[in-house]
Amino acid sequence: MHILVVEDDEVARDYLAKALREVGHTVDVAGDGLDGLHKASTATVDLVIVDRMLPKLDGLAMVQSLRATGRKMPVLILSALGEVDDRIMGLRAGGDDYLTKPYHMSELLARIDALARRGAAAGEEGGTKLKLADLELDRMTRKVLRNGKKIELTAREFQLLEFLMRHSGQVVTRTMLLEGVWDYHFDPQTNVIDVHISRLRQAIDKDFEKPLLHTVRGAGYSLREDE
Amino acid sequence: MAPERRFRGVLSTSPFRFAIVYSLVFAIAAAALLLVVNFAVSRVVDSSTDNLIESEMQGLREQFLVLSRSDFIALVEQRSQNQDVRGAVYLMVDPQLKPVAGNLPAWPKIAAEEGKWIQFKIEVPYGEETREHQMRARRFPLAGGFRMLVGHDVQERQDVKSLMMRSLIAAVVLTLLLGLGGGYWMGRRILTQARAISAVATQIMSGDLSQRLPVREGEGELNTLAREINGMLDKIEQLTLGMRTVLDSAAHDLRTPLNRLQAAADGAMSQLLPGSVERRVLERVTVEVDRMRTTLNALLRIALAETGTVAREAVDLSELVASVVELYAPLGEERGIVLDSEVNTGVQVQGNRQLLAQALANLIDNAIKYTPDRGHIRVLLHNLVAGPEVVVEDDGPGIPIDKRELVLGRRVRLDEARKFPGSGLGLSLVAAVTKLHGARLVLDDANPGLRVSLRF
Repeated sequence: MHILVVEDDEVARDYLAKALREVGHTVDVAGDGLDGLHKASTATVDLVIVDRMLPKLDGLAMVQSLRATGRKMPVLILSALGEVDDRIMGLRAGGDDYLTKPYHMSELLARIDALARRGAAAGEEGGTKLKLADLELDRMTRKVLRNGKKIELTAREFQLLEFLMRHSGQVVTRTMLLEGVWDYHFDPQTNVIDVHISRLRQAIDKDFEKPLLHTVRGAGYSLREDE
Repeated sequence: MAPERRFRGVLSTSPFRFAIVYSLVFAIAAAALLLVVNFAVSRVVDSSTDNLIESEMQGLREQFLVLSRSDFIALVEQRSQNQDVRGAVYLMVDPQLKPVAGNLPAWPKIAAEEGKWIQFKIEVPYGEETREHQMRARRFPLAGGFRMLVGHDVQERQDVKSLMMRSLIAAVVLTLLLGLGGGYWMGRRILTQARAISAVATQIMSGDLSQRLPVREGEGELNTLAREINGMLDKIEQLTLGMRTVLDSAAHDLRTPLNRLQAAADGAMSQLLPGSVERRVLERVTVEVDRMRTTLNALLRIALAETGTVAREAVDLSELVASVVELYAPLGEERGIVLDSEVNTGVQVQGNRQLLAQALANLIDNAIKYTPDRGHIRVLLHNLVAGPEVVVEDDGPGIPIDKRELVLGRRVRLDEARKFPGSGLGLSLVAAVTKLHGARLVLDDANPGLRVSLRF
């Protein structure tokens, strides 16, 4: 994937570019908003990572201009500001996701994967049935089947599973789950998400030979077929 | 609360109430004045008429003694014709009450004693028609069975009196109507401006500091007040924006090096084998970075909540409380702690959903942390008359009375709490969020345990 990194902090930019190249992305960099806007508008960029505070043209203004010219690629905004409403402002300006510094590289990579997938799968959002191996989830009837056997889930467990299935094969972080399933944007002081995951795991994996819900060490969780 | 509901209507505005009170006072004053004048005038007029009749009577009595009957009759006739004294009436009758002389057609049939004042009506010709006129008179006997009546037409006086009465009523009604009308008009004017001011104030209180109170053309107390409040708002906006700028640059300056540190550690770790000494050191580094980030986030959120520059919207508190309870319940169950909740539905507040959720999450997280295994936690949301109240109650060790004020301050952890993980900022954030929402944070004894309530 061709990713443009717009970041004025040279040290952070280099680390970020290096990490993205290591996982196989093509990376372009820009040090200010104007250069970033220019590169994002001309090159065949698939995804933009942009810092909120940039010289010459502010990160939010850059995203707005980009959207105004009709560019629809996913944009992830990085911010070193005091969040809460900054996040809303970022999304309102046209960002697709928002991450506060300092972040773990694993968190950023997971979010980039999710954004890229969302961009590619934009058309199939409306599908009512999600399927992974012998696990089936019907969003209309709100029924979950594994190997044809009905699995009873609470409303929240259903939402959690739906989120994981929509991101199947990807790493999903705890923060992504808290944001995506509960719509909360704060650090829960304790790992409340882990408990919910272990309950879901009890429900969908316990009586079956091949586990589907995996823990990815130092990153989060992944719902996938292999291993 | 919508400003429309806070102002019930023109009829309850103070100008309208003032107008009612004043127009009542003026109406009563006008009525009293007219009554006094009326009374005085009729006293004067009545007594002068009565005096006139009395002296006339006296004169005629004396004349009757000295004059012959025919001369007396002539005198009565002459006086009756005399137009100098308008409205004077005379009548002399014989013992059979037949008129002998005078300008009255007949002896009034009134069963009053002779010598007393009498009132009666007679028909007075007005061109083709006749009109009833009120008469006031006295009767007295003359020698030989003759009788005499001397009186006065008081119709005019009656007319004046009833005219005065009518104008009195008209004046009172008019004063009241003008007062009510004027009061209504002023009330509406004030109400329109007050509603506009209140609408803006609501917006300002919900965080939009760029709003200003509407100022009308010209002077007037409300305008002067609005201008002064606007000046004050300019100052507050300036200060708050200043604080926000300081906060943002502090956030930026602290997060940037932390971010580099995290990126450097992440970058280096990806080159190292899991389990190697270097990697373990770097893992320790990232754990510390995480801890710093958590503390920084909490401090920044507290500071942000304290600047009051946070966007607010209608928040479904019932949904929020239920969902935070649902988020934490499994965590409690891991340790056999029962998390009970009792949530009134449909409770709404103006506020910031994320901050409210975090405050509640901190309270429940604390409760779980300090409650012994197999303990009990209750979360309540009640819509009381005074406003919604959220309560988190545990049966842990509680907080001693003398230390309750203390724990709400920054970074205070009681000695007994040091064995538990945490930044010590949890309750401070709750306090800041509570204040931001204009609510009250109360720590109480749950006997045993701690009872924390947020009263909106």
